[in-house]
Amino acid sequence: MVKRVTPGVQLARYAVLCLVLGTMLFPFGWMVRVSLMEPGSLSEIGLFSGSFTLANFTELFQQTNMGRYFLNSILVGVAVTLGNLLFCFMVAYTLARYQTLPNKFLFFTVIVILMIPAHITIIPLYLLAVKAKMYDSYWALILPWLVNPIGIFLVKQYIESIPQSMEEAARIDGAGELRILFGVVMPLCKPALAVLAIQVFFTNWNSFLFPYILTQSESVRTLPVGLAMFQGHQAIDWQHLMAGSTVAVLPVLILFVFLQRRIVSGITAGAIKQ
Amino acid sequence: MRNHRTIAYLYTLPWVITFGLFWTFPLIYSFLMGFTNSRLLAKEFSWIGWANYSALLQDSAFLSALKNTFVFALGTIPVTTVLALLLALLVNREFKGRGLFRSGFFVPSITSLVVVALIFANLYSRGGYVAMIGQMLGFETPQNGFLYDSGTALYSIMAMDVWMSVGYYMLIFLAGLKAIPDELYEAAEINGASPTRQFFSITLPLLKPVALFILVVNSIKSFQVFVEIFVMTKGKFDTMTSVYFIYEKGLTTQFEFGYASAAAYILFVIIGIFSLAQFLLFRQRKDYSW
Repeated sequence: MVKRVTPGVQLARYAVLCLVLGTMLFPFGWMVRVSLMEPGSLSEIGLFSGSFTLANFTELFQQTNMGRYFLNSILVGVAVTLGNLLFCFMVAYTLARYQTLPNKFLFFTVIVILMIPAHITIIPLYLLAVKAKMYDSYWALILPWLVNPIGIFLVKQYIESIPQSMEEAARIDGAGELRILFGVVMPLCKPALAVLAIQVFFTNWNSFLFPYILTQSESVRTLPVGLAMFQGHQAIDWQHLMAGSTVAVLPVLILFVFLQRRIVSGITAGAIKQ
Repeated sequence: MRNHRTIAYLYTLPWVITFGLFWTFPLIYSFLMGFTNSRLLAKEFSWIGWANYSALLQDSAFLSALKNTFVFALGTIPVTTVLALLLALLVNREFKGRGLFRSGFFVPSITSLVVVALIFANLYSRGGYVAMIGQMLGFETPQNGFLYDSGTALYSIMAMDVWMSVGYYMLIFLAGLKAIPDELYEAAEINGASPTRQFFSITLPLLKPVALFILVVNSIKSFQVFVEIFVMTKGKFDTMTSVYFIYEKGLTTQFEFGYASAAAYILFVIIGIFSLAQFLLFRQRKDYSW
């Protein structure tokens, strides 16, 4: 349905949209601008005027554990993402293909957990990590998050939309179950798994609460935790804080530019299916 | 045939373990703990019945945390929902540059909340950008910055939350708009319905399930505000929220596990009631149509 819009209305719409876009992007521009300012020069506010320097970035990596935080974030993010790809897929396959009573019950637990707010587990999970000697290690940042209900839900939904004939043909040809799972079904699920991988990695990259309460040493801190800890420090000024923020945001922005469509479809798939 | 079904059960093990160990166990454990006086340094603990719960209901810090949580939810959810719907309507139809606007609006919601909170802490600071604009427009701005003033701190954080999440809900509204069949509008047009009439008789009613989803998701999220508070104010200046209260009681200074667990369960029940209420409310509305 094409509606004819008068130039005046069109112009007004663009004006409103540009204003909103400016509001949405300005804080990021400001972040980058402050990260490029020389120390002590914060008062000479101006997006394009004043001093420019990259020193804050090099100092940040040389004098703090920023590099370590970055590597930790990548390590934990990749481990959790791979875990979810494998495990959500396996679980979703069974729940989609064998709708027996126990599996229906399992799917019910997935839906229930999907709706339970995570704050309720803060204290028990902390105690569990301490008791299991996982506290302050990578295990605490990875193990509890290797499979997630939203992922199972999304992939199950997708597998149900693929016809079963390929698996049956493979089974008649004598292919083993693992072969069928990973050689036949998994490649067919690529679109859903790509969406899942992006979602999990982004969530993990930005996650703060649990990485914060489950660790205490510098050596296992992830980026958001490290940045939040910087903030209380007297020795770290806005310039360095914003340089660190830029380092944390940049990978996400770059990925977003390339993977936009998948990110968007992941979000809407989760929402509309409800 | 039996054989591969048995193997398939093994595939569910990762979820069975996660569900048992990292969800069911914590849920039961913290429920039981809510009835004890367990804390970090005390070796022993005893059952104290509902004492934690009755103490919480008289704890002014907890009550003000609950109040702030409600202020946060009631203040942000309507604004975010309406703005998200307006933005979705603005970028729904095809026009030049639509993709750019859509992605631009969405960018804040994929950014780390810690980073966003840091940026806004700078913008809200004394002599910061927001104060500067405020003064230029002739407003009186708080002396020590917006986050160091009980009158403005919570509202400043709420404004940041709207800024951050509006693009996400816009995308969900867009998906909902896309699902409305064009024929409905065509039929309405033939029958001479005005665009306003079309909006209220077709668009709004058919967006109801999406709006419900957004209301539920957004309220659950608003009841769990933590990171913003941690980074920006540490619960000072009347910004203590429920989850921050749980964190502060349970995992700092005193490590009062029992007390904090009881608080977590109260919040859990409130969130449950809210989701259920919204769900039922929207169900009922079906009969009246808007």
